[in-house]
Amino acid sequence: MEGSGGFVDRRLADYVSLITDSLASQDGSAFAAALAINATNSYAETVSSCLDHTKDPARILKQVDKHAPLGEMLLHHTRAMQCYHQNRYVDAYNSLEKSANAFLQEYRNWESTWAMEALHVIVYALRTVGEMADREMAMNGKAPDKLKGAGSFLMKVFGAIQGKGPKRVGALYVTCQLFKIYFKLGTVHMCRSVIRSIDTSRFFDFEDFPAKDRVTYMYYTGRLEVFNDNVSAADRKLTYALERCDPFKKANIRMILKYLVPVRLALGVLPKESLLTKYNLSEYIDVVRALKRGDVRLLRRALKANENNFFRSGVYLVLEKLESHVYRRLLRKIYNIQKQRDPGRAHQVRMEVILKAMKWLEVDMDMDEVECSMAILIHKALMKGYFSHKSRVVVLSKQDPFPKLAGRQQQ
Amino acid sequence: EENKRRQTRSKRFENCKGGATVVKSFVKGRGGSASNRRASALKIALSCGDGNGQAVEDIDWDSLTIKGTCQEIEKRYLRLTSAPDPATVRPEEVLTKALKMVESTSKNYFYKCEQLKSIRQDLTVQRIRNELTVQVYEVHARAALEAGDLAEYNQCQTQLKTLYSEGISGCCNEFTAYSLLYIIFQNGSNRDLLSSIARLTPEAREDEAVKHSLAVRGAVALGNYIMFFRLYKTAPNLNFYLMDLYVERMRFEALRCMSRSYRPTLPLEVIARTLGFTNGAQADKDVLDECEEWVKAHGGQVVVDSASSERQFDAKASAATLFMPEPEDAVAHGDANLAVNDFLTRS
Repeated sequence: MEGSGGFVDRRLADYVSLITDSLASQDGSAFAAALAINATNSYAETVSSCLDHTKDPARILKQVDKHAPLGEMLLHHTRAMQCYHQNRYVDAYNSLEKSANAFLQEYRNWESTWAMEALHVIVYALRTVGEMADREMAMNGKAPDKLKGAGSFLMKVFGAIQGKGPKRVGALYVTCQLFKIYFKLGTVHMCRSVIRSIDTSRFFDFEDFPAKDRVTYMYYTGRLEVFNDNVSAADRKLTYALERCDPFKKANIRMILKYLVPVRLALGVLPKESLLTKYNLSEYIDVVRALKRGDVRLLRRALKANENNFFRSGVYLVLEKLESHVYRRLLRKIYNIQKQRDPGRAHQVRMEVILKAMKWLEVDMDMDEVECSMAILIHKALMKGYFSHKSRVVVLSKQDPFPKLAGRQQQ
Repeated sequence: EENKRRQTRSKRFENCKGGATVVKSFVKGRGGSASNRRASALKIALSCGDGNGQAVEDIDWDSLTIKGTCQEIEKRYLRLTSAPDPATVRPEEVLTKALKMVESTSKNYFYKCEQLKSIRQDLTVQRIRNELTVQVYEVHARAALEAGDLAEYNQCQTQLKTLYSEGISGCCNEFTAYSLLYIIFQNGSNRDLLSSIARLTPEAREDEAVKHSLAVRGAVALGNYIMFFRLYKTAPNLNFYLMDLYVERMRFEALRCMSRSYRPTLPLEVIARTLGFTNGAQADKDVLDECEEWVKAHGGQVVVDSASSERQFDAKASAATLFMPEPEDAVAHGDANLAVNDFLTRS
């Protein structure tokens, strides 16, 4: 019907005006808001219903070419919005990638950074719609590859803005989106090249990036250090993220703590139980108790009880190495007790005493295993002294037999 | 016979409209009815639709796959460079017999390996993917492990993973255990290891072989040599052969640990017992000799205690002199199986 057709055409033209206005006044937020797809106030639904009824959308959309050659981009972008609204995510992704490609080619030539927010909105949409498209493909029995494609495209975006020039300030956001994609796909080794580019920059100081992006970046790179068992590097990065994280963003703090707590435990720093309950990290409570008590059985039980969780998040390897720390604690307790009873001979700890303590803790270990654990403690410098096999005695150093752990790299 | 084939071939071209290319068919073989079946399947495929032929997935590939007719149980391996002649390919029943032959033969690994490769090839060209295929790869993987042929083992393991994931049954727990050990000992990434473990099903985790592998992983992570060598002695299936890859390194790490923590000395007997030089019983003179030789080869110093005339590992002195020697069988290209001397002495 002519009447409703004209009405729909006008609504689409209004949408185009939104965009042309933002282009004319270089209003980054307005431009970004117009292009957003899966945000709460997005125009996806409006645009979608326009496209359903408009006879010739291209004619209306090409109006934008008077301000900037984005006509083709808008054609693909509105198509993406329509597909998204109709829950056809694979089609939405395909159109979105075409739109993003067209936009990037134009954006490359823009000197100023006023449209960075819009670029970020598109990047975010590529990742999230890519994820939904993969799910759709999997449900239809096809091997998913859209998120992977989003990753390749984002690398192109990264390459376009990370060089010399004011646009570099937006590169860290793109890096973080790439991290999220690689972690989701399980291809974390691909993070290496972007990390190298950020870390070895000649053009930029890391502190000049927006705080939010720096926190996210340190969170992900900290997690990578945890995977690779680099405890002190992980501590540095995750602590950086924690210190700058918005204190009201409880969920984010929890995510950082999930990895920081095991790392700190490996450095001999124990959190208060109240902290663990506040941030819903009860899986670490027994681990901390085991460390305080020197109770190996409790540690092993705690690890077993949350096995799947710890393996999936990758902290298992850091946690299991805490066994040495638990033995250290036990030895220290025995030493302190002996010091009270007979200070002169306290530094000599007989094997029978250790074995008795183990039995009391219901840990099933024989002489050979206990000797081995002691040898490892000394070898890792968690305990200073030596072991005399003949007399079956651990002889502790008279000075500082249990050197401080903090700052020591786990071996 | 030849005329018949020519006729069916020309009939195919007749019904072909538009530039449809003829699918390469293995027409050289005998077995007339089989080639007729193929020809008609091809005809149908090409004549349906709009002259461009149907989608690839809709062609009846099963009728186009060759069915072998060869009856030889023993067959040398010749890598295929073109479509095979069905007369040289063995059907499934013959391959089953061939596998049994390989399993019971007393000939050496090179022979078995070649025969198995040949069986694998016959299975592949006939697109047979079932329990027999799984058995063949399992037999080959086990033989490769026993012979120390890690490259071949890894190839078979990769194939098995895919086959198991397609739901074909086999000894998947046994091979899950091998796969875990392989990642640990070939310096696989932590991430690979963690995700493999996270993906284990609850019943896989209860399997003895898998439990053993996980325990080995734990022992290696903590540097617990006592546990490692106890697990070495009780290794199920062929876990032993994979642990063998790490024994030298574990022993050296243990020796280093002992040299830093024991003072002044440690009886050699203890080292022999705890580092897997014996089978659990007390170490006799031969075992002690072997142990002493190994310790010395790594820069360790052994003294004789004057009072008990017991051999002792001098921990204090050795701490500074331990080193990891170059492997004896190191060859320039790194694969000891290809060493010339080794080749000449093989039967």
